[in-house]
Amino acid sequence: MLKESDISGLGMENPDDEVVDSEPESEEDEDLKLAEPSKNAITNRDGLLDKLGDISWPDNVDWIHKLSVDVDREQEVDVNDDLTRELAFYTQALEGARQAFVELQSRGLPFLRPSDYYAEMVKSDTHMEKVKGRLLAEKRKIQESEERRKARENKKIAKEVQARKLKEKAKQKKEEIESVKKWRKQRQHRGFKDGDKDAELDFSFEDGKAFQRSNKKQPGVASGDRSGGKAGKGGGWGKKKGPDKNKKNREFRNSKFGYGGRKGLKKQNTSETASDTRGFNGNFSGNKRKR
Amino acid sequence: MGKKRKHSETAAALTDEKKEESAAERPKRTLLGWKDKVDEEKETDSFVGFRNKEKVLVTCSRRINFRYRHLMLNVVSLLPHCKKDNKVESKDSKGATLNELVELKSCSSCLFFECRKGRDLYLWMAKCPNGPSVKFLVNAVHTMEELKLTGNHLKCSRPILTFSTHFDKDSHWKLLKEMIIQIFGTPKDQRKSKPYHDHVFVFSILDDHIWFRNYQISCPHSGAQKIDRADLEKMTLVEVGPRFCLNPIKIFGGSFGGPTLYENPFYVSPNQIRALGKRQKAGKYAKKVKAKTRRKMHELENPLQVDELAHMWNE
Repeated sequence: MLKESDISGLGMENPDDEVVDSEPESEEDEDLKLAEPSKNAITNRDGLLDKLGDISWPDNVDWIHKLSVDVDREQEVDVNDDLTRELAFYTQALEGARQAFVELQSRGLPFLRPSDYYAEMVKSDTHMEKVKGRLLAEKRKIQESEERRKARENKKIAKEVQARKLKEKAKQKKEEIESVKKWRKQRQHRGFKDGDKDAELDFSFEDGKAFQRSNKKQPGVASGDRSGGKAGKGGGWGKKKGPDKNKKNREFRNSKFGYGGRKGLKKQNTSETASDTRGFNGNFSGNKRKR
Repeated sequence: MGKKRKHSETAAALTDEKKEESAAERPKRTLLGWKDKVDEEKETDSFVGFRNKEKVLVTCSRRINFRYRHLMLNVVSLLPHCKKDNKVESKDSKGATLNELVELKSCSSCLFFECRKGRDLYLWMAKCPNGPSVKFLVNAVHTMEELKLTGNHLKCSRPILTFSTHFDKDSHWKLLKEMIIQIFGTPKDQRKSKPYHDHVFVFSILDDHIWFRNYQISCPHSGAQKIDRADLEKMTLVEVGPRFCLNPIKIFGGSFGGPTLYENPFYVSPNQIRALGKRQKAGKYAKKVKAKTRRKMHELENPLQVDELAHMWNE
């Protein structure tokens, strides 16, 4: 039984192997070639040249009838390398077009399309619209991704800066506390009596550094305003994260408590509002009582 | 009445004869007026008596798939001197019927897109009454509808044909070049053709295949029909499409038949390629069985020596 399967396996395997060996692996192009030319292929050169003579136009035909240009390709190009292949075609076309234009110009024939010459194009306007749309969409995509990347980087930097600031603040605070402690110690050491005069000299925070008010003006705060710029803004007691937040807060409150006009009727409960429990946090009363 | 007319006619003829005799040197009258002798001479100088009256019949087989059909339509839009015809039944595509059809349409060459199995596209390029015909396998097809091909050019403007120099290397390439020039080049003064040139065809031989590309020429110029070297340097191309790659299979002496003049020695048909792939996949189980039996044989042949320390921990 074993031997049988062995033999059959071998039988199936061998021809396969041979075929694989003889064929180069270039299947992705769906374009296999025989490694060596098959022997029974026909090439009848004389016949081919005869036919060429039959069909070709007379020799003295003007170039303008053919419009064909031969372009030499400098180096061989690998077929599977898409980029260089396309580049080779492009350079061939460019070179050919240049030669042809020079030739046409020397004949004094019109060949450039005037800018006011409108005629049917190969691709319709709707199609070109689509092409344009796709190009724009691609551009936008690139821009957006770039912006996202920038924002991400900015965020990273901002985080670092913030951390540094906090560190500095903590350091300053520590220093100040140290200095106060030092001063106290000194004072205690001197026995509170004659210290007043000397101690004043040791106040490290009296050199105007610690209590110095920052000269930076807060935007939107009058020079005499001691409330830190909060006087003008409505109800910003909770989280103050800038004018935007405050504005939102104000708006919300206006909508809740009313702003202008008579409030009496609005504030009265109706059956709907009475049964509405959205405003309640479910467990707050219970918790309080337990404590 | 009749009599009278006869009389007048003869009189007129008589006077005509007299006139011709008297004024023999008068220039000929043409549709556009009197023709000057000098003009005639000029024309004979530039006009060698050659006029390209190429007409191409473009058609396809039945059951062609949409992609290839679109390719065919693209080709039709690129060739103003072509006539599109109805699909032809594949069975009829052998020889006589197509020749008849081409003759019926009074065309001198034919492009026949033959689709087999709904996936392989063959292109027949034939010069019709008695010229050669070529059968290509078409690969790597991209149609003009693809959005990444952003160029556009005038419909029916005459293309500039560029060939790589490889076309001059062998006799069959030379023949193919001549055929391509005749079929793809728009005849001068073709009725639909426009007087400007704004696109260029590329026929390039790479890896024994003919690659086709179509580019729009965008050249900065200032209205006048003059460009200098700087303008030429600034010239750029934008691809319009379609793209395809032709693999020549055979060249026949007649149109759609006749003696074989050339056969591509490297050609492998797509059917063979597919069969090969299948066979490669099919060998999987057999390989496994074979490996198993080989292993077994190997084990039987070289049995393991009994380890002297194997029973150490059993005691």
